[in-house]
Formats: sequence, C-alpha cells, structure tokens
Amino acid sequence: MSVTEQGLLERDKDTMTLNMGPQHPSTHGVFRVILEMDGEVVKTAEPEIGYLHTGIEKNSENKRYLHVIPMTDRLDYLNPPGNNLAFCLATEKLLGVEIPPRAQALRVIMCELARIASHLVWLGTHALDIGAMTVFLYCWREREMILDLNEEISGVRMMTSYIRVGGVAKDATRRWLDGICDFIDYFPAKVDEYGALLTKNPIWMDRTQGIGVFSKEEAINWSLSGPALRASGVNWDIRKSRPYSGYEKYDFEVPIHDGGDIYDRYRVRVEEMRQSLEIIDQAVRDLPAGDYKTPDNKVSLPPRETLHTSMEALIHHFKLVSEGISVPKGETYVPIEGPRGEVGFYIVSDGTNVPYRVKLRAPSFMAIPGMCQMMTGCYIADVVGIIGSIDIVMGEVDR
Amino acid sequence: MTGEEIIAKVKSSLPDAIQDTALPHGDAVVFVAPDCLQKLAAFLKDDPSLKFDYLSDVSGVDYLIEEREPRFEAVYLLYSIDHSHSIRVRVGIDEENPSVPTVSEIWKGALYPEQELFDMFGFHIAGHPKMERLIMPKEWVGHPLRKDYPLTTEPITFSYNRDFKSELVKSKSPNQE
Repeated sequence: MSVTEQGLLERDKDTMTLNMGPQHPSTHGVFRVILEMDGEVVKTAEPEIGYLHTGIEKNSENKRYLHVIPMTDRLDYLNPPGNNLAFCLATEKLLGVEIPPRAQALRVIMCELARIASHLVWLGTHALDIGAMTVFLYCWREREMILDLNEEISGVRMMTSYIRVGGVAKDATRRWLDGICDFIDYFPAKVDEYGALLTKNPIWMDRTQGIGVFSKEEAINWSLSGPALRASGVNWDIRKSRPYSGYEKYDFEVPIHDGGDIYDRYRVRVEEMRQSLEIIDQAVRDLPAGDYKTPDNKVSLPPRETLHTSMEALIHHFKLVSEGISVPKGETYVPIEGPRGEVGFYIVSDGTNVPYRVKLRAPSFMAIPGMCQMMTGCYIADVVGIIGSIDIVMGEVDR
Repeated sequence: MTGEEIIAKVKSSLPDAIQDTALPHGDAVVFVAPDCLQKLAAFLKDDPSLKFDYLSDVSGVDYLIEEREPRFEAVYLLYSIDHSHSIRVRVGIDEENPSVPTVSEIWKGALYPEQELFDMFGFHIAGHPKMERLIMPKEWVGHPLRKDYPLTTEPITFSYNRDFKSELVKSKSPNQE
C-alpha cells in the first residue's frame, strides 16, 4: 500500500506520516521524502527519487562520444564544465591523449567558475530555505556575472559543453579574460558581505549549529563526498589527492571543519569560494600560450582554415564529423572534485565510436541515504536545513 | 600503494578468492566470484595497509553484445582516503541466476547503488534490506540498462489532435528503433 493510499494521517497510530515533495520548493528539484513523525520529531525518513529520470546513461550507449558531452551538461546542471571534464578525462585516458597546458588551464578556470556559481546557487537557496531572503538576491547578482562569462566564451549561459575530448571548444578571448580579472577584483568583498549577513547572525547560528551532525566515520561509511565530507573533518579533496588537469601547479588550501553540522558545511563552502578564486587568479595570470586543443587530428577537429589547403585535414575533418572518435577497447574510471563532491565516469569501450557503457558516479545520488539518516531524530523544521546543507541536484540523482 | 602492489597484496592474502587480476592504465582491478565478494570486501576494508574505507560507486555492465560468459558484471569502485589509492572489484554475474551478495553491511553507501542495480539490471542483491525499484516507477516492466532492452520512443497515449498523433508515430527517427 502506498503512502497516498494509506492517507496522510492514520488515527490508530501514535506517529503521523507526512509527505514532503516532490513539488516542495526547498527540496531543490523533485526530491520526495516520506517522514514518519512523532510529534515534531522525525522517526524515519524514506527518500523517493526518480521523478527526473531521463535515461541519460541508456542514451549515451547509443550516441557517439562527442554527442554524449551535451547530455553530461544536463546531469548536474549547476556544474556543466565539471561533468564535461569528468567524461572527457575518462575518454582521454582510454585514448591516451596528451592535453596541451593552455587547454588544461582553461578547463581549470571553467571548472572553478562553475564551482563558485554552484556554491552561490546553493548559498542563496539554502539561506532562503532557512529564512534569509536577502542573501538569495545578492548571490543571484554575482552568479549572473559568471553566467555572462560563460556566454562570452561558449555562447551559452548554463549548458556550456565547453570542455571537449582533446581540449576545449574555443580559445579564450581578451574580453573573457578581462571579465574574469574584473570578477576577481569584485568578488572577495561580496563573499565578506555574505559572511557579514550570516556567519555571526544569531538566528542563522541557532538554525544550523549542532543540527544534522555526522561524525567522520559515519560520513565516510555513508559515502558522502566533497564539502559535506570535509565539514565532518575528513581531509580529502581529489584536486589534492589525485590531481588532474594540472591542479598540482596551483597553490590553494582545502577548507576543513570538524563539527559535521549544517553550520560547518556552510563555512566550508564559503571558504571554498575564496579558494576557487585563488585558483582562477593564478590560472589567468599564468595562462600558458599554445594550443587550446590537442593537435592530434584523430581526436580533435583540424583548424578551419587548413581545410582549403590540406587534403589530410579535409579527410580528418570528414572522418571526425561523420564517424567520430574511435576509442580503444577497455574500461576506466576517472574521478574529479565537483562542487558537490566526487564526480566520475566509469566508461566501458568496445573499440567502436559509441561507448558501450557510461556510468556516472553522482555525489548527490550517493549522499541521499546518508542525508535521510541525518534527518532521523531531528525536528521537522530542520529537515529543510539538512536537505539544503547537502546540496543535492536532482538532475544527477535521477540521471 | 601502486596498482601492482595492491594486486600482489590481495593475491597473496586471498589466493583462492581472486579469479583474475588486471592493470589497465595502472588501475588495480580484481575479478571475483559472487560468493567470495563479501569475504574480499571485508578484507579490503579491514586490512590496515589497504584500508579501502570509501565506496565510490557500484556499477553494472551487461556484456550481451560481446557475448561474454558470464553475461553480467557488477563493478565496485573502492577508494582509501588515508592511503589515496583505489581498486576496482569486478564480479561476474550469471544470466540464469543474477544474484550477488550485498556489501551494504560493510559500506552503508552501497545501499542506493545496489538498489539501482536491481532496478536497472535486475540483479538480485542477496541480503539487501530493500529490493524494489528505485528510479523507475514501481509498476515498470523490464530492466532498462540491459542490452536487450530497446531504446525506443514512448508510445503516445493521448493527443488532442489525432492526425498529429499518427504523424508523430510515423516520423520516429531510424536510430531510435
């Protein structure tokens, strides 16, 4: 018998079954949780997902590698460059392609901009859920600047598809780099502003401190990752532990707190925004010259102007557009550090131009059982705060 | 530890459980039978020099087109936060009896991906507390990520315009059949 059939209130029990979502504004998408309430206290929380299932993994098995990239944008729609990068890194590992340093730096800049934009969305909506309306408006103002930068370099504001197998789609423009420099000057004061509104705000502290606590061991055992794990005192950032795309060249810190509650997850993310800005600053300042994609024409398209003069370029162009990249037989998994944690693609190739199996390791999907574990025993008013603090994106949960 | 060292260590400690090993691109990969999975998982987590305390993901693969025997495979991606090394455990699963024991008692994080394996591939996860559909609707028939499950358009059940409906059905693109 489903919950709806059962009726929301059963009078012969001591507990009350309460349905939250999938259309609830604070579940950040279409997440549904069925709460068994004993008065104000949550006894059990049963998650229900699948409302946004679009079959991206199944679709990927029927599309060429290049065609999968736009679909990865739609998985975690707040972090499109990160998803592109995870997919491209896995494919490149199978192909054995070297990526030029300029392309790597451009990838890092895009990923870090996306991390800031994603944390801004998170901070705004999370504060709004708890009742701080102003922060939401401020965060949206700054996010708009990042979306404009995305538009400048890729032509699209959100679903950029900018990172491609073998490099990136286009070279950086002067206007884009100038825009980033302006943003670097402008943004730190704004992060201070959010801090001034929230960090020492007694209402905010009351609503977040000591709530939704997860110990270090619990957080690891329940496969939390990213900021949620680092707020529980685990020093693990894939950018440091297994550097990819040249992250080892940048000097930055990994913010760690050991409270494991909502407040510490907030602090970790806000500090991460500052560190991301550090990385962008270093990457823009020392942006290497050279190619923005690999010169290997079996993987990336030859320059447009060579098509009129070089027969070989024309053949490569034709083969790549009509047939796509053929990836050697094998299987691999490459993780990266997304705004929500470990994003990785497990790709099985059978040697053709279509992937045999594509599996996304989605941090939000893996965090949901742990999140519901956190809810048990807390007050109903805190459920909203806990969902917000884990920062789930339903696009990558349901895929 | 490097991939080779991990494989050597696992092989020497559990010689009869490991069916095969591989080292693609330097990643440690071990193959086990379903009945040895829990033993191996407990060893990988508890051994102090390996200490795979973090389960990244569990993935399923259907090797129907490659005509491999056994047809299915479950892949466990493990990571050690202290030692920063990783391993992939690949478990071959029979077509007749697609059953694999749960590792959710060892890593709680396995609860969801294992339930997804049931939903998408139809594996029976022995010992899993909740063997029901996760992503697909409860009344769904079939397991979508199997290779014999076709990728088709959804039949249109209702339209205001009858002609429009028949046109839509006709214009199905050929690569979606």
